[in-house]
Amino acid sequence: MIARKSFRQIRPLALILLIVLGLPMAFPQSTVEAKVDLVTLPERDRVQMTIYNTADLTLIREVRRLTLRHGGNRLQFGWANTLIDPTSVSLKALKNPDKVVLLDVSFPPRTRGLAEWNIDSEIAGEEPVEITFFTSGISWNAFYLATLTPDEGAMDLEGYVRVTNRSGEDYANAQTRLLVGKINLIDRIIDLARREFPYGRPAEIAVAPAAPPEAKVMLEEAERVMRKVAKEVEKKPKEIIKEALSEYFLYTIEGTETIPNGWGKRLPSFKQPGIPVVSLYKYDEERWGDRVLRFLQFKNDKDHKMGREPLPGGLVKVFRRIDEEAHLSYEGADTTRYIPIGEKVELNLGAARDVRVRAVLIEFRTDHFMFNNRGDVSGWDEYRTFRVGVSNFRSVPIKVEVWRHFDTVHWDLTNYGDYGVYEKVDLKTAKYSLELPPNTKKVFTYGLTTRHGRRAE
Amino acid sequence: MRRAKLGLVILGFLALAATNAQGRIKLVALPERDVTIIRLDNPHVCLVEEERVLTLQKGVNKVDFSWKGVRIDPDSIRLRVLSHPEAVQLLSLSFPPDEAALVWKIASPEGWEERVRISYLLSGIDRLVEYRARTEKDEKNLVLNAYMVLRNFSGEDFERAKVFLDSGGAFEKRIQNGETKRMLFFTARPIPITKTYTWDAAVKPHDPDKAPETVGIPVHYIVENKVSHGLGESALWAGKARIFQDDGQGTSVFIGEDQATFTPVGDRMELYIGDTREIKVTQRKMFEKKINVRRNNSNAIVLYDTDELFTVKVENFKKEPIVLTLIEHISGQWDGEESNFKYEKETANRIKFLVPVPANGSEMLSFHYHRRNCR
Repeated sequence: MIARKSFRQIRPLALILLIVLGLPMAFPQSTVEAKVDLVTLPERDRVQMTIYNTADLTLIREVRRLTLRHGGNRLQFGWANTLIDPTSVSLKALKNPDKVVLLDVSFPPRTRGLAEWNIDSEIAGEEPVEITFFTSGISWNAFYLATLTPDEGAMDLEGYVRVTNRSGEDYANAQTRLLVGKINLIDRIIDLARREFPYGRPAEIAVAPAAPPEAKVMLEEAERVMRKVAKEVEKKPKEIIKEALSEYFLYTIEGTETIPNGWGKRLPSFKQPGIPVVSLYKYDEERWGDRVLRFLQFKNDKDHKMGREPLPGGLVKVFRRIDEEAHLSYEGADTTRYIPIGEKVELNLGAARDVRVRAVLIEFRTDHFMFNNRGDVSGWDEYRTFRVGVSNFRSVPIKVEVWRHFDTVHWDLTNYGDYGVYEKVDLKTAKYSLELPPNTKKVFTYGLTTRHGRRAE
Repeated sequence: MRRAKLGLVILGFLALAATNAQGRIKLVALPERDVTIIRLDNPHVCLVEEERVLTLQKGVNKVDFSWKGVRIDPDSIRLRVLSHPEAVQLLSLSFPPDEAALVWKIASPEGWEERVRISYLLSGIDRLVEYRARTEKDEKNLVLNAYMVLRNFSGEDFERAKVFLDSGGAFEKRIQNGETKRMLFFTARPIPITKTYTWDAAVKPHDPDKAPETVGIPVHYIVENKVSHGLGESALWAGKARIFQDDGQGTSVFIGEDQATFTPVGDRMELYIGDTREIKVTQRKMFEKKINVRRNNSNAIVLYDTDELFTVKVENFKKEPIVLTLIEHISGQWDGEESNFKYEKETANRIKFLVPVPANGSEMLSFHYHRRNCR
């Protein structure tokens, strides 16, 4: 539903709409003269913005009431000093779509940031029209605050979104929607907004230097708006309704928002206490050298009290409650990827100091030599024994993964001791998974046999 | 900007030799352009045809045609006599020095009005096609609007022009120099579409968990240019397509854009709308071994086959079942040994699997093959 709040006009800007009346429709004599003949300045009735996060793009949809004459009507729209893509602007009559027809849009010569619609109307009087266009300069991003319980067995997660408007345009009382997804874009909106000619010229596309919006003036204007809006006291935090759409998710913020140019706004997206988490430590020399990395693992599913919505990528700051008075300590931060519903999450909190893994070679020998006709060595086996010690110096139980990579596909492993769960990940990789109670140590050894030369054939 | 100057000056003269010596005499009569046709059926070149009525005198007439500031290809200019093609003769065509102009000498047996057609290739004017499509919420059909964008930077104003494309009738438009005009060209509805997901082993990372961000899998809409699909009347021109989707709230959401390629009747248009992050694909090589080893006299391997196996795990996080198109590349000579999904050999080295995956479920594809006669 589109919110039907009364319109509070800031500036009639996003599009300057002027109806030009009294001109012969089909082939007007002079467009230059026509521009002086403006008559009506219709107000925005309502505004909806859909903000994308993987591209600098916002879809604006506004409804205005035009007073039309029977026959030809010409309507000007201007986008000077905004970041609007003029090729995206479209107009649709809402009440009489069959009787009010947009014949063409003209970007006349010797004008910039201005276009004309030629509308043929079979009705005379007021007609609500929907105008849609793309603008650059409005963005949103997600971020999260996580708080672990003292034993690290569970986590409270709060998700937020922050909307920032640098479009050169104020949007008042706009229904605000956020689109989570990776759409394909072949042109950046900002480039389209800055073109000298909206569609370029044949065989060349001119990009004019950027004309940044006049920041200071707009800031003053924006503050004025914010003061006005601040009088509307909100009784509770707004809800964000989330639903799947095609391959994307659409977040619709309850009610309407006023976001003046230059301002940002933070909105709570969700709050979920008590998500069970696993402290997972990983040791992988190929990726991180001899450091042990700490991960917080959970799943975006019902078993983990989540699974209602995907988690857009964003920075997660992780804290831990350290006492009964809920004092906090900062544990680390990670930027998550996009997490679909049902997918596992591993937050990388960086190198751990209180979990240690040492994998050392304790024995090396060769055997089973083969010789060719000339008497040279043509094949052999290598035997290595590694000892892996895993120490948990923490006061909480942990899980540890020890990843081992081999530089040949011709290998065999023989395991001794408490090596936990062993898994062949792929042709050259194996993984040991161990569980360690607080303040314990586990040691295991494995024998690695690799075959070389003709022994590998 | 310079005003376009495309002028046609006609000067009838009886004493040919005398006038010739004085050079060209300008602006005697300027017949109005009657009908102008702008033909944009060639994607690279615009052909303009204009008809004018010349008042010819008996004898030799000189017709002066100039195009200062207009981007005409002079060698393409042609004049065709329409009213009396048998009687009126085109004698010569000459180009005066340092001028964008030419002079035709035309011989007429009588004094009369003669309709002529002048045609030329004009650069700086073209058309783009732009599509705007709106799909239903279930993505089964879409409404396709095609717009034509006329761009005129040719130096010439066209007050009334009939614009022709490669198909369909003409439409009449006024387009000035420096002007860009966009108009609806056709609407087709509802067109059934197919949605595909494609994961290509040569393009996408095999271990998405190690990728810096969630790996997106390309999503395409397939539109078939066929009568049975609500289209098929003419080729669909190349152009930018912006796709919207009904959002169930009475409005729509922009879901992506692509550069549509030229699509003849009977062919299909593939539009890459964006990436899904609701499907995850992990490929692992699980087995690779030399077999059927053959050796030379020195006991060195000279020929062998391989025994290889890879697995592909496809996870679907969506609430709906999907079919993933999975592209694998195997070089050299090879034979498939065992596969738990059917595949199609698209080329010698490229195979395609269609893997159906239930909602919120996963599938594990396992492909066992031999490469033959490796050296």
